[in-house]
Amino acid sequence: MAATFPARATAQPLQNADELIDSVETFIFDCDGVIWKGDSLIDGVPETLDMLRSRGKRLVFVTNNSTKSRKQYGKKFETLGLSVSEEEIFASSFAAAAYLKSINFPKDKKVYVIGEDGILKELELAGFEYLGGPEDGGKKIELKPGFLMEHDENVGAVVVGFDRYFNYYKIQYGTLCIRENPGCLFIATNRDAVTHLTDAQEWAGGGSMVGALAGSTQREPLVVGKPSTFMMDYLANKFGILKSQICMVGDRLDTDILFGQNGSCKTLLVLSGVTSLSMLQSPNNSIQPDFYTSKISDFLSLKAATV
Amino acid sequence: MNANGEAAKAVPELLSPQNARLLLDSTEAFLFDCDGVIWKGDKLIDGVSETLDLLRSKGKKLVFVTNNSSKSRRQYAEKFNSLGIAVSEDEIFSSSFAAAMFMKVNDFPQEKKVYVIGGEGILQELQLAGFTGLGGPEDGKKTVELKSNCFFEHDKSVGAVVVGIDPYINYYKLQYGTLCIRENPGCLFIATNLDAVGHMTDLQEWPGAGCMVGAISSSTEKKPMVVGKPSTFMMDFLLQKYHINTSKMCMVGDRLDTDILFGQNAGCKTLLVLSGVTTQAILQDPSNKIQPDYYTSKVSDFLRFI
Repeated sequence: MAATFPARATAQPLQNADELIDSVETFIFDCDGVIWKGDSLIDGVPETLDMLRSRGKRLVFVTNNSTKSRKQYGKKFETLGLSVSEEEIFASSFAAAAYLKSINFPKDKKVYVIGEDGILKELELAGFEYLGGPEDGGKKIELKPGFLMEHDENVGAVVVGFDRYFNYYKIQYGTLCIRENPGCLFIATNRDAVTHLTDAQEWAGGGSMVGALAGSTQREPLVVGKPSTFMMDYLANKFGILKSQICMVGDRLDTDILFGQNGSCKTLLVLSGVTSLSMLQSPNNSIQPDFYTSKISDFLSLKAATV
Repeated sequence: MNANGEAAKAVPELLSPQNARLLLDSTEAFLFDCDGVIWKGDKLIDGVSETLDLLRSKGKKLVFVTNNSSKSRRQYAEKFNSLGIAVSEDEIFSSSFAAAMFMKVNDFPQEKKVYVIGGEGILQELQLAGFTGLGGPEDGKKTVELKSNCFFEHDKSVGAVVVGIDPYINYYKLQYGTLCIRENPGCLFIATNLDAVGHMTDLQEWPGAGCMVGAISSSTEKKPMVVGKPSTFMMDFLLQKYHINTSKMCMVGDRLDTDILFGQNAGCKTLLVLSGVTTQAILQDPSNKIQPDYYTSKVSDFLRFI
C-alpha cells in the first residue's frame, strides 16, 4: 500500500495566547499587514510588542520588502513610535547582500541591481560594487539599425527586487549579464505577486520584476526572501536560537507561513493584511498555519480562561 | 528501432541541391517567420528578396507568420514595401492580428474594453476588428505615485488584457494590467506570444513578449491564453485563405520552440534557418528535443540549390 502523508491539521483559531507565548522564545514578525499597512500602524501593535518584550521574548522582523535597508526600516519603526533596533530587522535587501557574502562573492566582480535604494545601501555596506538601481530608470533605448547596448562583463550577479522605475533598459541590461557573462548569478529578493505598498490597495509586487527576467533569460532565480529559509537560517545562526523555539507571525500564506513551516517553526496567521478567513478556509488553499487570529494585539485580549 | 527498442529520432537533413528540389516540388506554400529569417531589426538579410522572387516565379504561395506583435498586418506590409519586397497585407499573419481574431471568434462583447501592454500593432488590429483598446505605447509615459492618499484607478469595463513585446514597459502598465486581471470579474489574459528574446535590432537580441508576459503572470498568478506560435490558432485563418493541405506547406523559421513546433503541430514540413536566434550547436545539443525536417544557413541558400 502506498505510504500516505497525514494532511496537515486545519488552522486553529488562537484561543490561548499565553500558552503560545510561553511555548516559544522568539517571535518573528512580517511587517506589511502585520505591524503596519503602508505608513499606518495597525491598532495595538506598540502595546503588544512591549508586552512580549516584558515577558523576555526576542523579537525579530523579517520583511520581503526590499525598497529600504535595515537602517531605513529602523527609522520607519522609530517614526511610528516603536523601539526596534536595526539588528532586529531582516529585509530581503539585506538578505541579498548577506547571501553574496555567504558564498564569498568575489570583490572584483560587480552586481547589477534591478531594484531600489534599499538593495544598493545593503550592497554598499557589505562592500560590494554595484551598477544600476533607480538611476537606470531614466535611461532610454532606441531600437534602430547599428545600435548596440553594451554591458559590463565584470557583472557577476544580477539582483532583482521590487522596482517602481522598472523599464526595458534595465531588463535588457540584466538579461545580457545573465545570458552572456559566464557564471553570472540571478538572485531574487522575493517573488511576492502583489503587495500593500499603500494601505488602500494592492500593488504589483517584486514577483513581477523577477517574472520578467525569468521570462527573458529562461532561468529561475535563487530566492533569498520568504518562503526561502535563507533568512531563517541566518538569524537562527546569528542569535543561536533553535527553530522549534520560534513562532512566525505573518499575513501571507505562500510567503510568511510557508517560510515558518519550511523552517519547522510554529506559525500564526493574522487576518490584518492580505489574507481573509475565507481565503484561509478555501478548498484551493493547502497552506495551514498552526493558528490564526485577527491581529497581533489579540495577544493582549485572548487570555486563558481562569477556572 | 535503435538498440534500446526506441524509435530512432529523426535527424534534420542539411539542405542540399537534391533535397531542396524535392522540397520545392512537394510544397505549394512557404510560410516564413520574419525576425531572423527575412530581416534582423530593420535590415534585410542577404539574398531574401531574390529568393522570394524565385519562389513566386515557381508558382509558390508565400505567407509570413510572425510572433512580433509590435506592428499590424498593414504596418508589416509597409515595412516589406520599404525594404523593396512586394507583399500584401493578407499574406501576413502577425500575432497582433491573432489577438484581435481570438477576441472575435470568442465573441468578446464590444461594450467591453481591452487593455494593451504592447505595441501600436495590437491597438490597430483591435480597432480594425471593432474593439476598444486602452493603454499601448502612450502609457509608457505614465508614472505612478506610491503615496497613501493616491489611489490607482483602473477601468472596470476592461474585459481583457493583451500582452505582447513592449519596449515601453513600466510599472504603471504592470499595475494597470494586474488590477484588471485580478479585480475585473472574468477578465481575460491573452499573450500574443512567449518568445524570450528576439532580434529587435540587427546587432543583438532583446527581451521579447515572454518577458512582459512573465511579469504579468507573476503578479496575477495566472497563465495566459497564447495566440502566437507554437499555438496553431493562426493556422485556422491561414487555411481559410489558402485552401492547401498543411502537408503541402513548409514552415521556415529560426526558432525551434515557436516556428518549428508550430509547423510540426500543424502537420507542415519544417525548415530551420541558422540566420537568427538558433545556432547549429543549439540544434544539435542533446537537450534539444525539437528536430526540424531540414536545416540550412539562410533562406537564400535556395538560390544556390535550385
